[in-house]
Amino acid sequence: MASIRWGRVAGWAVLVLVMVATLFPFYWMLRTSFSSTRSLAAGAGDLLPVDFTLGAYRRVLGLSSTAEAVAEGGSTGTVDFWLYLRNSIVVATTVTTGQVFFSSMAAYAFARLRWPGREAVFTIFVTALMVPPIFTTLPNFVLIKDLGLLNTYLGIVLPHLLMTPFAVFFLRQFFLGINASVEEAARLDGAGHVRTFFRIILPMSKGPISTLAILVYITSWNDYFWPLLVGKAENVRVLTVALGVFRSQTPQGSPDWAGLMAATLFAALPMIVLFALLGRRVIDSIGYTGVK
Amino acid sequence: MKRSLIIAGVATLLLSGCGADPEGGSGSATIDYWLWDAAQQPQYQQCADAFHKANPQYTVKITQYGWDDYWNTLTTAFVSGTAPDVFTSHLSRYPDLASQGQLLPITDLVTRDKVDLSAYQDGLADLWVTRDGQRYGLPKDFDTVAVIYNTDKLKEAGIKPEEMSELTWNPQDGGTYEKVIARLTVDRNGKRGDEPGFDKNHVATYGLGLNTSGAGFGQTEWSMYTMSNGWQYADRNPWPSRFNYADPKFKETIKWLTSLIDKGYVPSMDIISSGVGQIDTYGAGKYAMVTEGSWNTKTYWALKGVKSALAPTPIGPTGKRASLFNGLADNISAGTDNPDAAWAWVKFLASPACQQDIVAKQAVIFPAIKSATVEAEKAFADTGIDVKPFTMHVKDGTTHLAPISDHWADITTIMTETMDSIFSFKSDINALDPANDKINALFQ
Amino acid sequence: MTSDTVRATPRLTAGAVPDKSPPRRRRLGDLPIAIVFVLPAAVGFAVFYVWPALRGVYLSLTKYNVLTPPRFIGLENYRQLFGDHLFWNALKVTAEYVVLNIGTQTVISVLLAVLLHRLTRSMVVRGIVLLPYLVANVVVALVWFWMLDFQIGVVNQVIEWLGFDRVAFFGADLGIGTIAMINTWRHMGYTALLIFAGLLMIPPSVYEAAAIDGASEWRTFWRVTLPLLRPIMALVMVLSVIGSFQVFDTVAVTTGGGPINATRVIYFYIYDLAFNRFNFGYAAALSSVLFVLLAGIAYLQLRLSRAGESDLKGS
Repeated sequence: MASIRWGRVAGWAVLVLVMVATLFPFYWMLRTSFSSTRSLAAGAGDLLPVDFTLGAYRRVLGLSSTAEAVAEGGSTGTVDFWLYLRNSIVVATTVTTGQVFFSSMAAYAFARLRWPGREAVFTIFVTALMVPPIFTTLPNFVLIKDLGLLNTYLGIVLPHLLMTPFAVFFLRQFFLGINASVEEAARLDGAGHVRTFFRIILPMSKGPISTLAILVYITSWNDYFWPLLVGKAENVRVLTVALGVFRSQTPQGSPDWAGLMAATLFAALPMIVLFALLGRRVIDSIGYTGVK
Repeated sequence: MKRSLIIAGVATLLLSGCGADPEGGSGSATIDYWLWDAAQQPQYQQCADAFHKANPQYTVKITQYGWDDYWNTLTTAFVSGTAPDVFTSHLSRYPDLASQGQLLPITDLVTRDKVDLSAYQDGLADLWVTRDGQRYGLPKDFDTVAVIYNTDKLKEAGIKPEEMSELTWNPQDGGTYEKVIARLTVDRNGKRGDEPGFDKNHVATYGLGLNTSGAGFGQTEWSMYTMSNGWQYADRNPWPSRFNYADPKFKETIKWLTSLIDKGYVPSMDIISSGVGQIDTYGAGKYAMVTEGSWNTKTYWALKGVKSALAPTPIGPTGKRASLFNGLADNISAGTDNPDAAWAWVKFLASPACQQDIVAKQAVIFPAIKSATVEAEKAFADTGIDVKPFTMHVKDGTTHLAPISDHWADITTIMTETMDSIFSFKSDINALDPANDKINALFQ
Repeated sequence: MTSDTVRATPRLTAGAVPDKSPPRRRRLGDLPIAIVFVLPAAVGFAVFYVWPALRGVYLSLTKYNVLTPPRFIGLENYRQLFGDHLFWNALKVTAEYVVLNIGTQTVISVLLAVLLHRLTRSMVVRGIVLLPYLVANVVVALVWFWMLDFQIGVVNQVIEWLGFDRVAFFGADLGIGTIAMINTWRHMGYTALLIFAGLLMIPPSVYEAAAIDGASEWRTFWRVTLPLLRPIMALVMVLSVIGSFQVFDTVAVTTGGGPINATRVIYFYIYDLAFNRFNFGYAAALSSVLFVLLAGIAYLQLRLSRAGESDLKGS
């Protein structure tokens, strides 16, 4: 008995340690963002903000003049937060909606319709899952460039808008599990495949579809590489890219750490808020994909 | 139905992103302008405002990228169609861009608008002409190198300011220059670098700071030593055909400089490559002196809690001092939507209206226009900065041109790797031999 | 789709499951309507997967700077590749990264999952460990870059207080390890939750039996839990490895490949060649080689995971 107790204590100790290690960087982000960049070197170990100031936030949001920013040792770059937030939302929402919708259509055809060549086509789709993205990224960049879609929303979302092998795959698996009798009943009522798909299959698959949507949304929101290549222009710049740009706007000497942390906080915040709202749903989603 | 609603929604979202070009209309344009030095951004913003006032149809939007990312950001921008219309350019960098056809030549425009090239400091304007006779920029400034030191630290070390202008240097024992550096170095127990018991692993203040390993350029890191040791970057400048990084004079100089790292007088690569740059480390009192370019001077004077003074770079084995003489200009992207606007802005940046009336007065850099240079020296003096250690190089003729060469991006890649490796003691000094061979192979 | 989602695939690679619905029509079956349903995805697949793959192979045989049309040069890029020490270095660095990242991530995640399983069902705890995963790589990278800074990073501050010498986390020796740890930090909670879900599937009776046999917690873990987890672990790992090879964001915003190429991973090298040095053709050749390499690894791993699956059925 006693040994088990000690085991539990040790277990909890490790768990608490992990949670501290997880949360501390977020605190440090906050603490640094309220500090003054010039004073950070002197107070590197202070647990509270050094020389408390909102300067970093003012700089990042473009509320302070160039001269002020330079005087504070800050970056003169700004993050047009609302614009980039809008861009991130547009991109992630479009990709998620399109990808989930079109992939579910394809998944339905692969799972519930009978047609010659079905298995062959599906196998080709499956194979693509193993292709490293970089292999298609460079030619896709050239394609988007040739189409004149560089620095447009369309250029950013297109490659992931119509399908990903994973999404097709994931949904097909669930559609396969739906009991045929449900569909039969609908058919007897005279419903066609289109109607069956929209009225029966989609509503029945709310769980897996929202799981997929959450995952796609997170991935799309956090993506950096692709939007960096095709969407660096300000009117379509998403938050991750904006953060990378802000990082390279290092003033002479040292990075503007306070400004940078304020900017990272802005970039992280929308997802954290979403998580706070959807908490349980997101956590369940992860487990869901794991076992199903 | 539902589906058509979704599709309509998606379409609306997507279309709102396309064709959102804010420009257009009768001749009005926004000029995208890039520079890398944040400290210079305020005065060029003033120039931009003045320019807009004089040409209300044009607006200039300034974006700054740090030096480390500037050139990569620029080349990526050329590929992905986000290049600026006009950008601050560097003598070592523009030949590559010009040969790739990324730059708009301004030869005819200069002739057409009768720009007076003799107004600039002698020799500066022609540095921006490539071998095929095309001109790509008008000079905006020039710079040299000097020593900046912390006056309090100097006093504590018992060194007189007069001594600082008489220092000599050699690659064998480092001369009086190394003695001063050793004296200024203090470990955490208060022992100085030239005292017995000095702990080189726990240094509180380094006698001499360092910015980077200098890659193939070393402007403020080692060029003042190598060139006062009689070394030149290449067989000729501009447009060299062979580089000299394997030259014994270069090797012994670098070996000497890295020996200071080993002795604990100069910070290690781990320290200098961290997220605090030379200026802020100096500001925190961790460096007693640094070698710096004239463009950063004012930033040092603006540091709180540190009092600084200038000294000339040391006299080398040649019996002379040495400094690189470098200058910047603005280049126009070949792909600019609005060449007229871009040229108007470049011309304005190179005119007295910007250089003399605005930039010179801020005492940050030396403008390229002769009369503006005088103005800037006055402005520096008014701020309490005696810039003689910078300007004496020009008066004494101890300046050397910055290398103007093809393949500079490749040279930088090779030399960054090699020099970083030597400075962090991962490679022997002789790693310069294969590196130099590789560089020379680029020119065959 | 990028790494993260792919990492979540388990189980789905098992191949096509036979259609359970009864035959309705003869000959073409539902072909017309199936075409309508598959068309958008098929177009996406053809245009953004198949076509670029073919084009990638073609580009790898050319000299191409994106700004002027490609020029066919045969296998020259591949020949160059063999003598390119930066390419071999990039492979080595990437391999180091993958081993360190996958190694630590797997061990920590299993530990974490077991702890979660044995100690608590709290959503708050699970939410906290998942938090880093929701934040972009770029954000995570920057925060750690700051905390681990040699001079003013808080971690080094603490190390110094404890009386040790400062550590150059982003130096030439530790750089790639540090980057691997940063990404382990971001992914460990996510991976732990995947494994946790696997643990929930193990019937409690198995543990009861072990307890009756008097097995210790430690012994139960090694003899019961781990073998039963093997299939899900194998699949989580296949996908993690493929994702892990794609490390880019973290390097791009911290070290930029330095110092002395110590963190120049293959993705970053390819990006650098294509976009900073106008060498698209060569970059395409590198991606082709990487593709072949990854396909080989995936094949090997899938075989291993199959072995794992039979193991589960046996128990």
